[in-house]
Amino acid sequence: MLEQIKLWIERCRRGRTGSIAPEMLPTPKKPGDQLLSDCRLIVLDLETTGLNVGKDEVIAIGAVAINKGAIDLSDQFDLILKRPELDITETVLIHGIGPEALTHGHEIEEALLFLLEWMNGDPVLAYHSAFDQAFLEKTLKAQLGYTRNHTWMDVADMLPAFFPNTPTGGKGLDYWADYFGLEVSARHHAASDALATAELTLIALNRAHKIGLKTLKELQGKLRYHRRLQSMHGA
Amino acid sequence: MAPANKDTTRPQNTRSIMVFLQAHAPFSNMDDDHLAHFAEHATLRFYADGDVVLSAEDGLVDRFYVVKQGRIRGERHNEQADKMETTFEISVGECFPLAAIVGERPTRTLHRAAGDTFCLSIEQDAFVSLFSESEPFRDFCLRGVSSLLDQVNQRIQTGAMASMGSSISLNTPLERYSLRKPITCLAELTVRKAVAHMHENNVGSIVIIDDNERPTGIFTLRDLRTMIAEDRCTLDSPVHEIMTRNPCSLPAEADAFDAAMLMAEHHFSHLCLVDKDGRLIGMVSERDLFSLQRVDLVNLARTIGTATQLSTLVGLRADVSGLVDAMLAHGADSGQVVKIITTLNDVTVRRVLELNIQKNDPGIPFTWLTFGSEGRQEQTLLTDQDNGILFQTPDGMTEDQVREKLLPFARVVNDELAECGFTLCKGNIMASNPKLCLSDREWDDWFIRFIDASTPQNLVYSSIFLDMRAIFGPTDSLEGLLERVLTRIRNNALFQKMLAGNALQRKPPLTMFRNFRYVTDGNKRSLDLKRQGLAPFVESIRVFALANGVRSANTLERMDELVKTGVFDSKDADAWKDAYSLIQVIRMRAHQEMLDKDEELTNYIDPDDLNPLDRRILRESFRQAQRLQQKLELTYQL
Repeated sequence: MLEQIKLWIERCRRGRTGSIAPEMLPTPKKPGDQLLSDCRLIVLDLETTGLNVGKDEVIAIGAVAINKGAIDLSDQFDLILKRPELDITETVLIHGIGPEALTHGHEIEEALLFLLEWMNGDPVLAYHSAFDQAFLEKTLKAQLGYTRNHTWMDVADMLPAFFPNTPTGGKGLDYWADYFGLEVSARHHAASDALATAELTLIALNRAHKIGLKTLKELQGKLRYHRRLQSMHGA
Repeated sequence: MAPANKDTTRPQNTRSIMVFLQAHAPFSNMDDDHLAHFAEHATLRFYADGDVVLSAEDGLVDRFYVVKQGRIRGERHNEQADKMETTFEISVGECFPLAAIVGERPTRTLHRAAGDTFCLSIEQDAFVSLFSESEPFRDFCLRGVSSLLDQVNQRIQTGAMASMGSSISLNTPLERYSLRKPITCLAELTVRKAVAHMHENNVGSIVIIDDNERPTGIFTLRDLRTMIAEDRCTLDSPVHEIMTRNPCSLPAEADAFDAAMLMAEHHFSHLCLVDKDGRLIGMVSERDLFSLQRVDLVNLARTIGTATQLSTLVGLRADVSGLVDAMLAHGADSGQVVKIITTLNDVTVRRVLELNIQKNDPGIPFTWLTFGSEGRQEQTLLTDQDNGILFQTPDGMTEDQVREKLLPFARVVNDELAECGFTLCKGNIMASNPKLCLSDREWDDWFIRFIDASTPQNLVYSSIFLDMRAIFGPTDSLEGLLERVLTRIRNNALFQKMLAGNALQRKPPLTMFRNFRYVTDGNKRSLDLKRQGLAPFVESIRVFALANGVRSANTLERMDELVKTGVFDSKDADAWKDAYSLIQVIRMRAHQEMLDKDEELTNYIDPDDLNPLDRRILRESFRQAQRLQQKLELTYQL
């Protein structure tokens, strides 16, 4: 992983001087007729200093890629950012990332540029994606001035959409992971949570395939329909 | 929860996959770098219940899979029954396909997910580089589960050997022992010169050879002592008059175990090693075999065989247990150990009979029969008596008159054997039972009734009476009897079918989900290794053996014979033999542990007490028992 980043930074520095203009980065893709069985999806999880998008900050990014229906472990992202100035006292017990780790983390700008290039504009999935989306977009804007929108999909919607009335006992990642018997190696580690989310995604995609959902657009349609149903039954 | 900043050279998910792999063989023996190579090149896929993972239609196999969660079921089309049958199940931590990816061919088995399943897999390139770089991985791929069995055995041996301070295994071929060049002479040499020759060379024995260097006799210092004490001949007689003729010999490829068994059986302390033309090439003494080991099988057998009173025999039983410990430690496999126990038990039974004949000879020749596990030569330390008597009625006597003489004698023998540790048979299957002390004609009738009127009770007894052996007295009348019994069974398809049905009564203790099925025994989780583990093998194999005229009573030997006659495929038989032997080893180790703790011996174990490798292999062994039973079902259309 470190090697990959160094190589990448070397490449950037040799090719272009100064920082990279957002236009040079891959263009986010719109969900169209890409086949689910053939496309690349990013499954991402962030660790932050807290839950308030207004004042809290991203400290770690973990992500895995689903390529042609399989989680490709040679294609993953697992970084702690260099943010020694942040106060992590409230959340250190959750994510286990202490001040020392933040001091030795990666330069934020480089890490985010690398993330964008690695994401390659592919659709991003996350569990309770609104949270991750808000934090990531805020950070990209603040650090790089990057404002383009990726396509986001919420795995927390996807599961009940494909497995309605499943007695999981709750809506959280843990409930679904338990229900399907997944072993999460290190809960609240960004990369590990991303992998668990990706595993749940594979289960949902397997079901999608069986009921005839083939494209990214159809998947997004299904999620929208599910959300509308939810709001009609209204909480 | 592992802090994220440790071992930052590898991403968390790579590390977690390495940790997962490390919990399972063969990955547990592989270097970290090789595991990392696997993890970094792996993809993770999901298969819902019933999804096809791999099939013949996919063509050449280009991925190697490890089950991360769930199970994979292998299905093959059975031509005979025209249906799909499950040939294997692969659970968490296990790999597939082995033969197909190594052989670079399509798989022949349909691999299907059983339950929701995740598999890690690597492409052929990554597989090939692991295969070429990691020896444990290569070994596993080429030899599959049997390489794991070797590991178990190695561990049993190393564990026990550490305390024994020796590294010589009983499987060592005799030619690898540093053999002494034997001192030899010709048959016409005088005893005086022969002894002088021995003295010069400082040895205790001399081999007498003919002109072609073939051994014809052996003369030892013990013979010299006997000769002088009994005044049999003079020092100037030729040595052939006093030598022990036709000394026992073995080919050089035989192993230490063969030599030990031969010595124990015949109470010899020396064996000649010969080449393929029968020429003497070396000598091996019991001291050679055991000098580095405190295992003294031969001496123990001799002590038992020459004991002059019952109390000595009773006292020697503890030594038998100690010996079993040592044998397990020295890498005797379970087949060897049960034979050793049986050999020592035979020697004990013979000695009890001899001592009683000396005291109180019933005056009528008889053959002492053993049935069941002793008949099969498969006794462990937990054993009870199953015996009977076969006699030929002398002229002028009735069978009842013979019984009047033999039964009181047999009663004493049964009781004395009980004192020696052979528990009295609760079902009264003992020679002192008038129904089991019979003439050859009566036994014949008995078996005709047994086979023709196959009542449920008879079927239960089949595991006893159809595994029969003579251990004392003339054997020819038993051979005739056996021949007739076998012919009768071969010609009685109905009896075979009922026997097969009976053999299927005891199912291996696996649930549908491939977990262990426990005996309900209060709140203890336990498996009965004898009834649930070994019995399915013993009983199924018996049916095949009897139906195909195999005369051996030993389960492993029966399997060998069934391969020779083409009834069993040799690969199947090897898998079944391995599986059967492994269950037996686990059972014997449990017995030894119970003895150490002074607990009563039982055949129950709690699989949670086993290490993961043993547990996995035990499960695999039970699955082999299921396969064997399936073959029986198919053969007899049950």
